Amino acid sequence: MSSASITPPPPKPPVQPKPFVIHKERTRFFGLTLDETIRAFFGGNAFMAVVVLALITIFLFREGSAFFGQNRASITLYRTAGLEYVDYMRAQQEGHTALTRYLFDIRLRAVRHLTENEALSVAEANAKLAAFDEFAGRYSDTIEPVRGFVSDLTDVAVAIKEKYTINEDAKTERAQFLATGMTAEADAVKIAEIDFKAELAPLVGVTPMYVEAANGVATAINDVLATAPALPVPSLESRMTRFKELNREYLATFPETQRKLETWDYLKPVPALDTVTGFLFGKQWLTASFWQDWYGLVPLFVGSLMVSIIALFLAVPLGVGAAIYINQFAGLREQRIIKPAIEFISAIPSVVLGFFGIAVLGQALRALSQWEALSWVPGFPFSERLNALTAGCLLALIAVPTIFTLAEDALNNVPRSFKEASFALGASRMQTILRIIVPASLSGIVSAVLLGLGRVIGETMVVLLCAGNRIAIPDFTQGFTAFVQPVHTMTGIIAQEMGEVVRGEIHYRALFMVGLVLFFIALLINFLAQKIVRKYRISIG
Amino acid sequence: MSEPLNPFASKPSRSRAFEKVILGLFRVATYFVLLCGVIVFADIVFKGAPTVARAFKTTSTFPYVTNTFLFTAPESLYVFEHDGEKKEMGDKEYRAFREAEEAKALAAGQPAPKFKAESYVYSAGGIWPAIVGTVLLVVGSMTIALFLGVCSAIFLNEYAKDGPVVRFIRLAILNLAGVPSIVFGLFGFGMFVIFFGWNVSLMAGWFTLAFMVLPVVITASEESLKAVPKGFREGSLALGATKWQTIRKNVLPYALPGILTSSILGIARVAGETAPIMFTAAYVVRDKLPWEIEKASDFFFQGVMALPYHIYVVSSKIPQNEYTARVQYGTAFVFLGIVALIAAASIILRNKLRSRYQW
Repeated sequence: MSSASITPPPPKPPVQPKPFVIHKERTRFFGLTLDETIRAFFGGNAFMAVVVLALITIFLFREGSAFFGQNRASITLYRTAGLEYVDYMRAQQEGHTALTRYLFDIRLRAVRHLTENEALSVAEANAKLAAFDEFAGRYSDTIEPVRGFVSDLTDVAVAIKEKYTINEDAKTERAQFLATGMTAEADAVKIAEIDFKAELAPLVGVTPMYVEAANGVATAINDVLATAPALPVPSLESRMTRFKELNREYLATFPETQRKLETWDYLKPVPALDTVTGFLFGKQWLTASFWQDWYGLVPLFVGSLMVSIIALFLAVPLGVGAAIYINQFAGLREQRIIKPAIEFISAIPSVVLGFFGIAVLGQALRALSQWEALSWVPGFPFSERLNALTAGCLLALIAVPTIFTLAEDALNNVPRSFKEASFALGASRMQTILRIIVPASLSGIVSAVLLGLGRVIGETMVVLLCAGNRIAIPDFTQGFTAFVQPVHTMTGIIAQEMGEVVRGEIHYRALFMVGLVLFFIALLINFLAQKIVRKYRISIG
Repeated sequence: MSEPLNPFASKPSRSRAFEKVILGLFRVATYFVLLCGVIVFADIVFKGAPTVARAFKTTSTFPYVTNTFLFTAPESLYVFEHDGEKKEMGDKEYRAFREAEEAKALAAGQPAPKFKAESYVYSAGGIWPAIVGTVLLVVGSMTIALFLGVCSAIFLNEYAKDGPVVRFIRLAILNLAGVPSIVFGLFGFGMFVIFFGWNVSLMAGWFTLAFMVLPVVITASEESLKAVPKGFREGSLALGATKWQTIRKNVLPYALPGILTSSILGIARVAGETAPIMFTAAYVVRDKLPWEIEKASDFFFQGVMALPYHIYVVSSKIPQNEYTARVQYGTAFVFLGIVALIAAASIILRNKLRSRYQW
């Protein structure tokens, strides 16, 4: 058979593909089929969470970011108008005032000692302290020359600042006139350019005189101290020695102040970074003052932190303890009652808890602290009804359900085999729980505590109502009494002052910056909680 | 004769006693937490309930009974002495009384009587506008949050495959849940009140609260969607239904009850928060009720009174005394009652639902 005999079949004409009968023309939106459109719609919604987070960041920045510029202008004015210069002198005066207060404190102790331990009448005690009083009077008078300078120069500096502010207002007015095309009115607005150098002349001019006065004060203090009388109470002599030592330290700062005054230059620029550090690490939050406003986060941050520490100190043992009890010991019926009940506590609105704090808990805690039997507790007794402790106790009640629920989940996730293995090795129930189950779920428990902290630090109404709202860093030198002093918090300050500030002013911007810091703290806490869970999870294999 | 000793009985030892103490401590911790909750609850109920109970009044029209605390607007309270009697009256009543007395004196030809009244702001009348405002805020914000939340959950549970984008979205949801409520308030103020120019209004409050509660709703919805067995979807897809048809007909109907009940807890959160509405939606006092408006669009752009904000105002912005304490406790009682009812309903319904669907 030869291949030549087979001729290839003639090529068939190409078959046209038949139209697909059940093919349906699909509706298309922007090139997507209906199903894809629906998918995109749902996807868009899911993306909302990301969008909201981004929007929060954007809008907090949008309202808050101008703060730094405005704050820099404010600090620059503080310098150019000579307020800073006067504050150097004022610091000297205040150092002396603090020392005078120390002296009065000694007197108070002496009177108490004389009346209580030596059973003298008040008149007798006063008679005994006459020499001391005369000494204290002479001591407190030594600062008079400086005080005179400060009060005079304060007026000068404030006048310069006021002039500048009026000028600035005039400039804005003029700009507004010009913007609307009213040139005639714009020209009528008077703007007197301030010659800061000339204005500051009376201020800077007194430096030599002031230095002389300060030196006079130093010698006067030394003279007065040399004639200090012996105290009628020997046990207070050590305080008197301490007082003299403090005085030496105080006098040692004089040359430094003198140097500052002499080298002070009103034109020295304010570094941009100073406004950032001044905000984050500033120790004063002082607003609506005639002198100079300060926006320092530290007092608020410390307040928030203290309240949270108290809350966690109470809530962690309670929450974790309850979780262990419910998860490991409680019967089914007990579980079925207690779990919803604790969940129910988390539904109590914070404003109601805050109100409870004002109406009941504040007084109750104060009464408790004044109870004799409890006087050994550090910080007891206290006199402020609303303080960090009151707020902390209520916040603990808010944190407990969060910690409880999450810690219980974590305990639940420990595999049964861990427990069984422990029992098989002869461990008792408590040993199993404390040595096996709790360590195995520790990452979950720690993250529960962190999320509880996030809840507490972001809580507003309780601290606004119950923390006492005093903007000052508590006095930590007295130990635990710091925890029963009134504080102010980051959340509280926003809630309290936001309604009263002028939109666009520096104070308003500062509040937004506080909000931004709060936002980032919350994100950080969340991040840490997730990281801990992921990193230290015991592999269940 | 004593019982024969059980040789296997555990002997008392120090470590055993120690274990008992630890167990006792755990138990005490649990019940102490409950006790604290009960004390707060009891204090407010016992001191607040009389304010509401005392305010029941009969009326001449249907339904013949009303409660002046629940259903009237707040007024100033006037306390004064008249004819040797101590009287307490609300603003309107006091004015009417004064006019009547003056007219009486005039008719009798005597000099007009002098009234020396002390006034206490917000201490008379009731909290009706605040209740209405809270209900409006809750309804609006939950509508928005449920829509967004359920849609997100459908995407995450039904459509999305695990990948960087989905993980990013989940991370965002998790983080959103941790943002403090006051930050939401600031954000709402910056975006809705100022940037969008909605001013202090219902709309601004709705969106602020909706965004705040979004993570709760998403988590709850996803859980309910996960509870629907896979077979439901596979069966439907095998019969040729499209994805959307499957979700609409075979997944959502079974998940919806779960979604709604779990979201009730979100309602409790929305109703209970004060900080987000402080600058976005709440007025200290407003005479008009929300429906007393000139044109329909005004409805969305009006501020309202709200119960939590009212509690804040009456408990910290006005002086404390026996007259103001009444309205404080009364408001707190009503508010706590509403929130507690919502929360209890959510917990009970959820437990029922868990036992109802068994797949």
